[in-house]
Amino acid sequence: MTKLEDQRSISFPVQGMTCASCVSHVESALMELPGVSDVVVNLGTNKASLNFDPTLVNVTDFQKAVSNSGYTVPTQEMNLHVSGMTCASCVDHVERALNELPGVTSASVNLGLEKARVQYIPEVVTASQMKRAVRDVGYEAVEQDTAVDNLDRERKVREDEIRRQGRNLIIAGTIGVLVMIGTFYDMLGPFQSIVPKFLSYKWVLGLLTTPIVFGPGRQFFVNSWRGLKHGVTDMNLLYATGIGASYGIAVINTLFPNAGFGGEGATFFESAALLTAFIVLGRWLEALTRGRTSEAIRKLMKLQPKVANIIRDGHEITIPADEVETGDLIAVRPGESIPVDGMVQDGYSAVDESMLTGESLPVEKKAGDAVIGGTINKTGAFKFVATKVGKDSALAQIIKLVEDAQASKAPIQKLADWVAGHFILGVHLLAVLVFIFWFFIGYDLFFDAGSRFILSPFALGDIGVFGFSLLLSVTVLVISCPCAVGLATPSAMMAGTGKAAEFGVLFKGAEAIEKASKIQTIVFDKTGTLTKGEPSVTDIVTSLENNVPNKNQQMKILRFTAIAEQNSEHPLGEAIVRGANTNDLELSAPEWFNSIPGHGVEAKIEGVAVLVGNRKLMSERSIDFRTLMSQAEKLETEGKTVMFVALDGQPAGLIAVADTLKETSVEAIRRLRQMKLETVMITGDNRRTAEAIARQVGIDQVLAEVLPQDKAEEVKKLQALGKRVAMVGDGVNDAPALAQAEVGIAIGSGTDVAKETGDVILIKSDLNDVIVALEVARATMNKVKQNLFWAFIYNTLGIPLAAGFLYPALRLVVSPEVASAFMAISSVSVTLNTLLLKGFSPSTQRKVKRTGRDTVAANQFSASTTSSD
Amino acid sequence: METENLDKEIARKSAIVYLAITAIMALLFFVVTGLMGTYPMVARIGGVMWISLLTLIVSMPLVITSMKKRIKGTKRN
Repeated sequence: MTKLEDQRSISFPVQGMTCASCVSHVESALMELPGVSDVVVNLGTNKASLNFDPTLVNVTDFQKAVSNSGYTVPTQEMNLHVSGMTCASCVDHVERALNELPGVTSASVNLGLEKARVQYIPEVVTASQMKRAVRDVGYEAVEQDTAVDNLDRERKVREDEIRRQGRNLIIAGTIGVLVMIGTFYDMLGPFQSIVPKFLSYKWVLGLLTTPIVFGPGRQFFVNSWRGLKHGVTDMNLLYATGIGASYGIAVINTLFPNAGFGGEGATFFESAALLTAFIVLGRWLEALTRGRTSEAIRKLMKLQPKVANIIRDGHEITIPADEVETGDLIAVRPGESIPVDGMVQDGYSAVDESMLTGESLPVEKKAGDAVIGGTINKTGAFKFVATKVGKDSALAQIIKLVEDAQASKAPIQKLADWVAGHFILGVHLLAVLVFIFWFFIGYDLFFDAGSRFILSPFALGDIGVFGFSLLLSVTVLVISCPCAVGLATPSAMMAGTGKAAEFGVLFKGAEAIEKASKIQTIVFDKTGTLTKGEPSVTDIVTSLENNVPNKNQQMKILRFTAIAEQNSEHPLGEAIVRGANTNDLELSAPEWFNSIPGHGVEAKIEGVAVLVGNRKLMSERSIDFRTLMSQAEKLETEGKTVMFVALDGQPAGLIAVADTLKETSVEAIRRLRQMKLETVMITGDNRRTAEAIARQVGIDQVLAEVLPQDKAEEVKKLQALGKRVAMVGDGVNDAPALAQAEVGIAIGSGTDVAKETGDVILIKSDLNDVIVALEVARATMNKVKQNLFWAFIYNTLGIPLAAGFLYPALRLVVSPEVASAFMAISSVSVTLNTLLLKGFSPSTQRKVKRTGRDTVAANQFSASTTSSD
Repeated sequence: METENLDKEIARKSAIVYLAITAIMALLFFVVTGLMGTYPMVARIGGVMWISLLTLIVSMPLVITSMKKRIKGTKRN
């Protein structure tokens, strides 16, 4: 029995998949291997991911299983110059070190040349890991030839496929047009004079069609046979039988017109030629558009800086960014990218973090502030110490999250894959039934020599029972291709997760998108989520003659109170000192200070006796606050903590302190309510305070006095009422509720536990991103539904038409080439529809654009002008 | 090596089954069209070929998959 901790995860590319049935074949092949579990193959990303037991199975086994199914795991070769080897045992050490790395399929070392030739799967193992492995066993390794990086390689593979299918299309398209002209020679009318007559001869048509079938069409025969040998049926089989049957019958009828297969009237050369051309056109368009849905990953990967300027022994040297180690001191100049995550040690600058957080304003950085790798330094120069490098860096983790999300499968996709996977066998069975029906029953009952082809001026002519039945049977095969069904969901999910990442919202899986699109109720944790999570001064009420509000008096009270509270460690005292600092008040040391535990403080400041504390303290000191009492009660009703301030034994004012709302909370809740979502706040606060906050923010329902451990239980109660619940939180204590909810949304500034538990992470701590997440999820699922509609509508309408359901009434037949055109259109329409998501912009962003992005972060505290009245 | 031998055994046993199914279907088609008496020989032969091809395509993956399960299951037990 394998222990869970012995399991390893791996994700590797798979090439050659074209449809959902390919996905299920690769999945089955991998699942059959011992020690393999949780296999997920994604057509959109062309990747397989799985868990495995390394003692039972390795990467080479995966590669073999995939290749036995008729697909390939692309590998790359790299040469390393290895120095320090002296003997054969060194060779063995280096080879073993390299071969033990997951992702290395073979490694051979040449001692004389000091060279290691490594065959590896690029997305599983990196060059730096290989170099490190060699270094770890005591040798030095340098890349001999720079390997094309992942991005370039991926682009190259796509470009190769586009070029290959483009070449096929030129051959099949050009010759196909000639075949069509030749076939319809008699219908050309006045154009007959410019077309040579011999083009219409059947044997010429045969000669022209042959290179199409065996050139561009060869891929379908080879791939389908390779699959069939391993018990695998895919889209290629549909094409191969369609093209093969059309071509075979055409050849027989040309060479042996009296054989009884329909004679010259049933030479389907144009079907074979145009069928191939249309399928290749579909493949070419698919190759052209498919890669574009993963733009987000590409954009994120491009952010990874290539080099870093590190300071060693007082000298600045430039090294590859992936060789920076934790603790390295790195210099960054204006305009440069920050190579890794770290902490500023020296210097000051503003950094553009918009590429990762979506925040449009540059963020100021000074000593002690954290910087993120991949962001761009704008104005000043600074030095920072690397804290997280390689796969631990924020950018690497964001890329991994987006990749994982794109590689995962939504429940709706699993269903679509299952349908498409079993569809091909079903279609072949249907083709048998259609053939048998028309052969034994339909032809005698309904056949009419005057029947016409749909979208064609030509009549069917005198065709025999076999030719007619075969025609309908082949057309069913061709029109049924479910490749659009396979593409419908993954392409939209990839585009959706990528789009969300652009706005700083990370979905951990396709399932999270599907669930987020159906949310009815959103539960917000209060502290740190709706509020800033630390108390601050909200109101200063002064006791003045003539009831005139006086800013100077407010600042005086704030300053005296802050000086008195300077040495206090009480959170309320700290909030007052912060408030004074924010207002640039100068705080001197008090002449005398005394803490009154549980009540407040007293001090002598600039000759004035200052007493700050609660109502009881003032009562004990016989200071009459009756004139301010109604104000105090009003503030307390709003959930604020009120501190009474007396100067020289006279009531001077009130200072209210509360955990304030984030700037975006009210707007976010308003928008969520506009989206017809129920909003709930969950907090451990007493009901009065909780309701005061809820009123300010506009929350529908309050769950107050909830102990941290009971938050998940409250979510469960809402679910028991039939509601689909999302939970937004940031703390460790929110983690169970985040896990319990259908969708857990973790705030980026929150704890690691919350982020690990959540299904969605908001990189910024802006609650408006909850709206972004929900809007992207809804838009993505809409796209999925539209895509599935387009994918199925062709099959739903096309199959009965191709099978001849309407033939008895209309005497119309779908030709195989028209069927293939329909099939190509369905794939392309699905892909193009998905690409429309690229233009999606959440409502919060639309507003930002309208107002010119001129909103200034309102972080400064400004004292309330409330006064006694 | 063991895996390769196993694969060969699966391929061989599967081929016997799906070829038998295909042959039965083809024969059935030929006999039925003969009994009905109205079809020209070429149509009957063409039909036999088409039915054989489709039957082969349908039966191959089904038989190979179930044979794989059966043989690998037996070996594991």
